[in-house]
Amino acid sequence: MVMNLSRALPVFSAAFVVLYLAATHFNLALFTYHPAQGELEFLTRPPKGGAPAMYWYGWIATAAVGACVVAAISLAVPDRLAARVWPGWTPIIAVVVMLAFVYLLRGWFLPSIGLILK
Amino acid sequence: MTTALLLFHGLLSAALIGAITHQMLGAWWPARAASGAFFSRFRAVNVASYTNAIIVMFVIDAFVGGVLLYPIYRIGARLVIENMRLRAPVGLFDLKEHFLTIALGLLPAYWYFWRRPLVAEHATVRKLLTAIIAFAVWFGFLVGHFTNNIRGLW
Repeated sequence: MVMNLSRALPVFSAAFVVLYLAATHFNLALFTYHPAQGELEFLTRPPKGGAPAMYWYGWIATAAVGACVVAAISLAVPDRLAARVWPGWTPIIAVVVMLAFVYLLRGWFLPSIGLILK
Repeated sequence: MTTALLLFHGLLSAALIGAITHQMLGAWWPARAASGAFFSRFRAVNVASYTNAIIVMFVIDAFVGGVLLYPIYRIGARLVIENMRLRAPVGLFDLKEHFLTIALGLLPAYWYFWRRPLVAEHATVRKLLTAIIAFAVWFGFLVGHFTNNIRGLW
């Protein structure tokens, strides 16, 4: 039983990284933390009192909840079919998502690279 | 208190780097024969036994860095660095945050593929997952150290 449940773990990991990218890009935070006020608010909320709001915890929560759902659904797939899926997809998806983050954050680096190359 | 937490975070990260690097080298470049040479002995250890310790250290380090220290950085050091118009360090710190979150999410798969008895067909997946987590840990350590040199938490 435990061994059967554990086969959902690679699915959880693959789903988590994809959902984390989506949650970050579309700002789908399950909750917002206001560090200056020490307050938590449900879903994505704007910053308060001129201090920045933190969405990172909310993005992780969104991705974790979504990945749990995907992993639970994957358990419905028969063992025979699940065994056909190549387990190497989990690290490959993670590398692709890491490269996507580099691309999405390129605006922070391009001016510096331009200065170095000048 | 913040300085003590930052020191603990740095020390735990150094221990984590040691463990994950050791495991990665042992997985990618296992020693073929017993030898007295330092690198052969380094690579010849039973790297599967490191898995649970690495997961525990990673989770504790992520809690200290991400939950206890990150809010202090967000409303203090980061605003100063942004005002100094140092865009690349801010971007690098954001990348560190995302890479380490991805590594955190990979831990369940990492545990699954490293549990004993090791499945021979999963050797490549084990190597890849370990390398990704090792890269994220090294990247996080270096960027964190670099950012702390620009503007520490105080």
